[in-house]
Amino acid sequence: MLNDNRRDRALLYIGIILFGLFALVPYYWVIRTSLLTNIAAISLETGFIPSLADLTLVSYQQVWDRFSFILYFRNSFIVALGATVISVIFAVPGAYAFARLDFPGRQLLFYTAVFTIMFPWIVLTIPVYEVFYLFDLINTLTGVTIGLSIFVLPQNIWLLQGFFRQGIPQKIEEAALIDGHNELTAFLRIVLPLSLPAVAAAALFSFLVAWNNFLWVFVLTSDESSRTATVAIYYILGSDVLREWNILMASLMLLVLPPIILYGLSRRYVGTGLGAAS
Amino acid sequence: MASLELDNVTKVYESKSEMIVAVEELNLDIQDGEFIVVVGPSGCGKSTTLRMIAGLETVTDGEIRIGGERINEAAPKDRDIAMVFQSYALYPHKSVRQNMAYGLQLSTELTDDEISARVETAAEMMGITDILEKKPGALSGGQQQRVATGRAIVREPEVYLFDEPLSNLDAKLRKHMRTELARIHQELETTTVYVTHDQEEAMTMADRIVILRSGELQQVGSPKEVYHKPENRFVADFIGSPSMNFVDVNLSEAGVLEAESLSFELKESVNEMLSPGQSKYILGVRPEDITIDEDASVNKSLTAIVDVVEIVGSDNFIYLDLAGEEFRVRVDSHIEPTAGDEVRLTFSDDSIHLFDVRTGEAIIHGVPQQPKMTSLD
Repeated sequence: MLNDNRRDRALLYIGIILFGLFALVPYYWVIRTSLLTNIAAISLETGFIPSLADLTLVSYQQVWDRFSFILYFRNSFIVALGATVISVIFAVPGAYAFARLDFPGRQLLFYTAVFTIMFPWIVLTIPVYEVFYLFDLINTLTGVTIGLSIFVLPQNIWLLQGFFRQGIPQKIEEAALIDGHNELTAFLRIVLPLSLPAVAAAALFSFLVAWNNFLWVFVLTSDESSRTATVAIYYILGSDVLREWNILMASLMLLVLPPIILYGLSRRYVGTGLGAAS
Repeated sequence: MASLELDNVTKVYESKSEMIVAVEELNLDIQDGEFIVVVGPSGCGKSTTLRMIAGLETVTDGEIRIGGERINEAAPKDRDIAMVFQSYALYPHKSVRQNMAYGLQLSTELTDDEISARVETAAEMMGITDILEKKPGALSGGQQQRVATGRAIVREPEVYLFDEPLSNLDAKLRKHMRTELARIHQELETTTVYVTHDQEEAMTMADRIVILRSGELQQVGSPKEVYHKPENRFVADFIGSPSMNFVDVNLSEAGVLEAESLSFELKESVNEMLSPGQSKYILGVRPEDITIDEDASVNKSLTAIVDVVEIVGSDNFIYLDLAGEEFRVRVDSHIEPTAGDEVRLTFSDDSIHLFDVRTGEAIIHGVPQQPKMTSLD
């Protein structure tokens, strides 16, 4: 085994530390910069680890005062939650059908649905805009929600289909049929309760992807009222003549907070859900 | 408890590229209270047949009747059957008690008290009263198997269906559960269809054995019947362990079966039973009917070279080389020849079977020296 002797273990730890630094330094930099003043952020004198005297919360204050972050956060939340709920509602029965039923065109439909994960979305932006324009969905939260739910649907179907196929033995459904269920009630009363971890994992992934999405929101909205936090940050950076890095970093910190909290709360389910789905 | 009839039942799987006939025109009449074991090699259609009886597979052609009533179109829950799966299929998120009660709660009008009483009775019968509150994940394979069987028992159905329920257990537990299931059947007397690939299970548990091969029925009969009078070479080979020896022989004018290193003079009465003009046959003899006898008559014996001697404890299994083919003999444990020895083997007239070379059908099954069995079940 890799860890057996001390030399190997030392090398392993060194490798882990190096990789850890490589991964974590950017995060540290974001936190560091967000706690400095604008000048200090770009000054060479502040150093890699700033002195405690330099730390300040003024950037957070500024974010709060100058930008209607509550609005943006609210929009992000509505849109991400909405997209999660809609896509899960469609993905669960769809994935079950793909996993258990045999119908003509099943293979083709499945691979089409899932192929979209790999698709270069940016190519679709113009046609999608035109279609949404036709339906009066531009600049509306509804439009963004619908767009994002379509965006996260393939990964949900993929994840849940694998789970239904491998994680739930077909014999349990057959036992349920003999016990007195029909196919539908067997699905609702036996399969679904057993699938909660996987569905929770799928929902969490969807929420994260929808929350972090920039492209669709950017394309489908121009009004500030329907803007989400990801796009708002873009405007924070681009709209000022003087680039205020500390404010940017502070808004970034605020942006990642809800997903982190959500992940922390649902960690119990996600671990088992991912394990069951893999 | 009811009779179960399969009338020309056929199952065909069709896909774009091919058509697979899993079960072909199966006819079976199972009496009320019978314990039927359906046995055969993998892919012979036994599980498919069971699933058609359960309603988990559709019937392509033919009719299935329980108690005289056609059930082809009935949903599994409406057929009054209960099934025990090879993988037990217990609900992992419910306790043992809930697992056993679930079917009754869903399909019957029984009160909670009545359901509870039935669960307790079945649990006592299966010896699982101490694990009623546990979840399946915390149980051993043997315990899960008992719970699965208990779940079927509480339903008090017309027919029990078992799909290789003991296959996932270790050998000792399997033998123990076999006797348990036989005891339960004695007590409940419910019609049972039991599928297995293990011919030993079939022989020890069945009232009648149904042997299938590639979807076709080979023979239906009591264990004694299929053992002593196999209808064709496949059945003769399948039943019995170690399996029967087969030798291609030539019947000479003088009424002697001849092959390389083998010469066996048939009795006059046997010779008369064979049709004239036929000279090639397949001779079948079971390993347990053969003895090693250096003084045996040349005209009633064969010689072979010892290859491997397996010591089982109560017996020895001896594998020999008869003109290039394997020949198996079971002898008492004190007979232990050395590998490489040439030995002379003999058997009696009443233990020989002759099969048709072309069709594999059995022609004669030995000729008893004196009537040993007056009736066969």
